[in-house]
Amino acid sequence: MFKRIVLLLLASVSLSAVAAEDGKVKALLKQADVYRLAIESGRVETEVRSFKAGVLDKTRLYAVYLKPGHRSLVLFRTATERGQKMLMLGDDYWLMMPSSQRPLRITAMQKLLGEASTGDVATMTWGEDYDGQQTGEETIDGVPCIKLDLLGQRKGVSYPRVVLYLAKKDHHPVQAELYVASDKLAKLARFKLGNVDGRRQVTVMTLIDHLQKERSTEVHYLSRTDKTLSDDYFNPAFLVRADLTQ
Amino acid sequence: MKSPLPAREAEFQVRKAHQRRLLQCLAGLSAVAVALHARAADDATDFGWNTRLVGEAHELRRDSPFAAGLDLTSFGRDRYRIEQELRGRAGPVSLLLTATESGQEGAKPTGRFVANEAYADFSLGGERFAVGKKVLSGDVGYAFRPIDVLQRESRMQMMPPQLEGIPMLSWDNFSPDGAWSLVIANPGHQRRGDAREDGSVALKLYRRAGAADLHGVLRRSNRYGLELGVAASLVPSDALEIHASLLTQQRGERRLPLAENASIRDLLTADSALVTETIASPRKALVGGTWTTAEGLSVLGEFWWDGTAPATADWQRLARQAAQRAALLGLPGVPAAAVAGETAASLKMFDQGNLVRRGLLTRLAWSEPGGGWSASADILKSLEDGGWTLTAAVAWQGDRLRFDAGLRRYGGRADSAYRLLPERGVAFVGLILAY
Repeated sequence: MFKRIVLLLLASVSLSAVAAEDGKVKALLKQADVYRLAIESGRVETEVRSFKAGVLDKTRLYAVYLKPGHRSLVLFRTATERGQKMLMLGDDYWLMMPSSQRPLRITAMQKLLGEASTGDVATMTWGEDYDGQQTGEETIDGVPCIKLDLLGQRKGVSYPRVVLYLAKKDHHPVQAELYVASDKLAKLARFKLGNVDGRRQVTVMTLIDHLQKERSTEVHYLSRTDKTLSDDYFNPAFLVRADLTQ
Repeated sequence: MKSPLPAREAEFQVRKAHQRRLLQCLAGLSAVAVALHARAADDATDFGWNTRLVGEAHELRRDSPFAAGLDLTSFGRDRYRIEQELRGRAGPVSLLLTATESGQEGAKPTGRFVANEAYADFSLGGERFAVGKKVLSGDVGYAFRPIDVLQRESRMQMMPPQLEGIPMLSWDNFSPDGAWSLVIANPGHQRRGDAREDGSVALKLYRRAGAADLHGVLRRSNRYGLELGVAASLVPSDALEIHASLLTQQRGERRLPLAENASIRDLLTADSALVTETIASPRKALVGGTWTTAEGLSVLGEFWWDGTAPATADWQRLARQAAQRAALLGLPGVPAAAVAGETAASLKMFDQGNLVRRGLLTRLAWSEPGGGWSASADILKSLEDGGWTLTAAVAWQGDRLRFDAGLRRYGGRADSAYRLLPERGVAFVGLILAY
C-alpha cells in the first residue's frame, strides 16, 4: 500500500514537472514572439530580398494583415505581382490573381512554392503554433542561448519542427533551425534586432536555404502598425472586392 | 486611271491620324498614371503600369477544306500586340485601362483604348455594394468553367489580352463561413450578340466547409432562361486539390452547319453558312485535380462534358459542306466571292466555347522553387473524335520583367474538330515590363 502511494506521488510529481516544463516553454515562446510582433492584430510591411550565390536576385514587397486565430492576408505590392492576394485561414489557403478576379483554393505545397514562401512572411509568432521542450544551452555568435526543440501543433505550419535558440538574458530570438516534414533542415533563420519606436524588435530575419545551397533570403520588417481589418476581409469571397487598404 | 500617289498619301494621312490618336491615348494614360502615382503616399491609392509586347507566328493549313475562305478571316493573321495597361485603385474606385496596338498580316495596325474595369466598391447602411464595369469570373476549373455564367471567359488562350469586365451592380453579403452576392449584369440589356452581353440577374453563393469550398449560382437571362450551377474545390492533403463543377440550363444554344441535304443555293446564300440550334436542358460538367510536389512539379488532370458543344457528325458535315463549296469554284454562274464568303462565314463555328463534348486535359508544370523559371506542357484531347492540341511554354519572371515563349500544335484524325482548324500551329513570345 505504502509503495503504491509513493509511486502515485512520484507519478504526479513528474507529471506536474512536465506540465511546468510545458508552461515554461510556452512562456518563453510568448516572450520571444513579442520581439517579432508585439501586437495581436495589425499590419506588417515587409521587403523580401532573395539572393542567389550572394548576389541580389529579386526584391519583393508585401503588406501582411494578421489577426488572432491563424488568420493572415498577404497583399503583393511588387510591380510584377501588384494586385495578387493570398489569404491564410489556419491550414487553408487561397490565392487571387488580378487577371482572373477569382479566389483559388491552393494546397500547402503550392503555397510553399510561392515567392519567398509567403508563409515565412505571414507567420510572425511561434507561441500559437508550437510547443516542445528545452534541450540544452548553447552559445550562438557569442550570445549564450537556451535551446528549444519545438514541434508544430497544427497541420498547416510551414515547418513541422523548429529548433529555436533564445538569448538567455532577455529571451529574444537569435537563431532558428527550420525543418520540413521529412525532418530535413530546410532553412536556418537568424534574427537581427533594432530599435523600433523605443522597443527592441526584430528588424531583419535572414533565411539561409539548406535545400538550395546557393540561395538565401532577407526579410526586412519595414513597419508594424496596429491597423486592423474587419472579419469580412478574411473571407475568401471578399478577395475580389477592392475596398481593401493596400 | 488614278495615280496611286494620292491614295498612298491618303493612307499615310489615315495612318498618321491613327498614330496621333493612339499617342494621345497613351499620353492621357501616362498623365493619369503620373497624377495618381503622385498620390501613392496616400494609403488608399495604388497604381501600376505594365507594358506588354506579344509576338505571334502562325502556320496555316493551306490544304484545309476551308482554304477558299481563309483570306476573308483573321485566322493566322495576328502578328503582334503592344499593350499599355494601367491598373490600380484610388479610394473605392478600381481601374484597369488598356491601350492596345495590334498588327495583322496584310492590314494596317489598329489601335484600341478600353476601360476593362472601372468600378467602385462601397458600403451603405451596413451592406456592401459594387457598381461599374467589373470582371466577374467564377468557377473552380482550369480548362473549362461550366458555372462561369457571367464573365464567360474563353479558356486555353495563349497570352490572352486582359479580360474586359461586365457592367453590373452587385449587393454582397459576408458571414464568417460564407457569402452571397446578388448581381444585376448588363442592366437594361435584353439579348445581345454575345451571351456575356445579355442582361441577366444572378445569385452567387459561397460556403466554406472545412477543407472544401462550395459555390453555387442561379442566373436568369432571356437567352438561356434559368441556369443553375454548383461547384466544389477540396484540399484533402498538403499536395492534392480536387475540383468539380456542374451546370444545368433551361435551354442552351450551339452553332451548326446547314442540314445534310442543303441545296447549292443554300450553301452559297449570304449569312446562312451556320444555323443556331436551341437545345433543351443541356448540362455541362467538369472534374479535375492537381498534385504538387515540393520540388515544384505539378500535374493537373481534368475531364469534362459540354452538352452545348457540336457533335463529331456536325464537324464532319461542316467539312463536307466546305468541300462542296470548294468544288463549285470555277463552275459557270458561281461567283468565287460567294464561295469564299460562305466558307469564311462557316469558320465561325470554331468561335464557340468548347469544340467537342468530351475533353480531357493533362498538364505537367514546373516552377523553380524560390526562383523565376517555370515551364509547362499540356495536351488537350478530344474523347469524341481523336483530335488534340499540344502546348509547351516556358516563362521567366524577375523584379520588373516577365518573359514568356511557347508553341502550340493542332492535330488528330483528319475529320476531328481540332484537326479541321485551318491552322497547324502557333509560336508566341511575350514580354511584360512592370513599373
